[in-house]
Amino acid sequence: MDIKSSNITPAPGKFWFTLDNAAKIFPAVITSEVTSVLRITAVLNQPVRIKHLQKAVLQVEKRFPHFRVQLKEGFFWYYLEHLPQHIPIEPDDKPPCRKFPNGRLLIRIMVKGNSLSIECSHILTDGSGALEFFKTILIVYSCECGAKIPPEYQLNIPVERISEEEYEDAYNRYFKAEIPPMVKRSSAFHLPYPLKPVPRFTVLKAIVPLEQIKEVVHTKEVSITVYLTSVYLYILQEIYESMKGVSKYKKRKKLRVQVPVNLRNIFPSKTMRNFTLFVMPEIDLRLGHYSFDEILKSVYHQSKLETDEKLIHKNISRNVGSERKLYIRGIPLFLKSLILRMKYYSLGTNQYSGVLTNLGKIDLPDETGRQIDYFVMTPPPPNKRLKINCGVAGFGDKLVLSFGNVTQSLEFENKFLQFLRDQNITVERETIE
Amino acid sequence: MVQCPNCGVEAEENANFCPLCGEPLMDKTTENTALIKSGRNRQNEKLLTDYHRLTGYQKRKIFWQISGLILISGIIITLLIDFITHRDITWSKYPATISLVLFINFTLNTFLRKKMTLMVGLSFLSVTGLFILFDVYAGDTGWEIKLGIPILLAAYLTVFVLIFLVRKAKQKGLNVIAYSLVAAGLFCIYTEGIISIYFRDSVYFGWSLVVMVSVALIALLLLYIHYRLKKATDLKRFFHI
Repeated sequence: MDIKSSNITPAPGKFWFTLDNAAKIFPAVITSEVTSVLRITAVLNQPVRIKHLQKAVLQVEKRFPHFRVQLKEGFFWYYLEHLPQHIPIEPDDKPPCRKFPNGRLLIRIMVKGNSLSIECSHILTDGSGALEFFKTILIVYSCECGAKIPPEYQLNIPVERISEEEYEDAYNRYFKAEIPPMVKRSSAFHLPYPLKPVPRFTVLKAIVPLEQIKEVVHTKEVSITVYLTSVYLYILQEIYESMKGVSKYKKRKKLRVQVPVNLRNIFPSKTMRNFTLFVMPEIDLRLGHYSFDEILKSVYHQSKLETDEKLIHKNISRNVGSERKLYIRGIPLFLKSLILRMKYYSLGTNQYSGVLTNLGKIDLPDETGRQIDYFVMTPPPPNKRLKINCGVAGFGDKLVLSFGNVTQSLEFENKFLQFLRDQNITVERETIE
Repeated sequence: MVQCPNCGVEAEENANFCPLCGEPLMDKTTENTALIKSGRNRQNEKLLTDYHRLTGYQKRKIFWQISGLILISGIIITLLIDFITHRDITWSKYPATISLVLFINFTLNTFLRKKMTLMVGLSFLSVTGLFILFDVYAGDTGWEIKLGIPILLAAYLTVFVLIFLVRKAKQKGLNVIAYSLVAAGLFCIYTEGIISIYFRDSVYFGWSLVVMVSVALIALLLLYIHYRLKKATDLKRFFHI
């Protein structure tokens, strides 16, 4: 897909552009339960001042014209078309991460008391892209409330001068032809819990002091992401081993956790659209029981290995290469969607038992940061097979874990948080409906 | 700054309602209790007054009442005039019957709009009745069985299918005209066929085929304009591969 095939400059009239490589899967699999809507919440120290927020959003949406788009169906592909509507600010009194209706923007802002959230379809951008947008809103909001912001955060850029790079499909830039295809992985273990009746999605939030977890992580000499991924695998192993009797779930003995990697940290890119790939650290229970330290060591090395630049190139090329083939491009959209829906499970969810996505430590100008207590990153609702996922965000002195769950059981979360408590980490938990 | 008791955000000091959720923020002890209803209720009420007070059904019912008054008084007046001048019912039975059938059809359209098939069926029966009555008035020539009713049936079926297609069309515009043209062309074909059976006892198509070909060409052009040219600028994005 040549980037020039889309009219990407925000010219007067309706501009449009194609979906980026990662976004192409989502329209085919979205349902009212699996919505592909991610959510980032900032909990402020004060109630949100609604007038100031409205002013801030009006300013920021001008700076990011490519976020004001709707999803349209073409004959061969979906595409995004400019929709001249304002980004809606809504009371946050409904379930989180609801699907966006057709013919509307793919982004909304939700407010309730002290909490200010952005919900955004994964078709539009990934967690880091949404965070960048959200940070801009928070900065301008704090300006409206009277804060002084350093000049590097100013957003007085005329629309004509917005770099095209912000809206490019960055996967394309790092595509290299003629790279060997990847080998398909075997199916992984999935949690056995029965599903909740619809609407299924609930979120459990756990707040952890950043200092305490850093101390634990430092003694192990790993990063927070590696540490939490290892806890994830360790708890999965514990649940696997505690399962009694014969179960179809027990046949699959590989435990894998998908950890999204922000490619902007590896390849220079200013893109505001999806630019993420995954590493999938795994442990194979056929080889016997793993101790936590063994898992930690293995996850550490697997992550290092899989984030190798050449390997990532290979994965990008595999993903982009398949969408460039003419015989795939020529399939009408409805057939393509059918195929994508099947592949989504066989090449996607089947291969991993859990997802842990870490937004990292969020930095903001001091005066803006002073208004904010902590951030919550809620990944898109997990599907029926995955059942549970986990989002992590660090800000100030707090690290917040947010578990999305569609099952009737809280066993996984309880065990996960108990594990952290056993390491002398205080955990404060709270359910969000 | 005041805090909204419903959604918890801070609004301007002088705001009467929360800009986010519409909750009233004014002092509840004052006497403006009538104003103090939840903003959402007020919005719902506004919607009700604007859109729901007169439903389509109510509007049709008013039209039905007025047209009923005019038609029935028309029937009575024509019958009376005829009777006074001729001491008998002569010409007035025609306008009276037509008015009656019109009134029956208005009634059907008012009360059976949801039941399309029943409405069209009954309407067909009423017009059939009209034809039979005309034949009775004219002295039993038998034309309605062989000519009138078959053409009427063809017309009703065509219109029925046309309405169905128009209702199903997602975008309405030139395509509606195109469908109507094709329907008219088809109707011409039936009519010629039925007439040829009536007069010559054999099926023969002549002029109606010419009509059909010409309307089909125009209809195709209209459909092309409607579905393609209108989206000419969108074609590139629609077919991007």
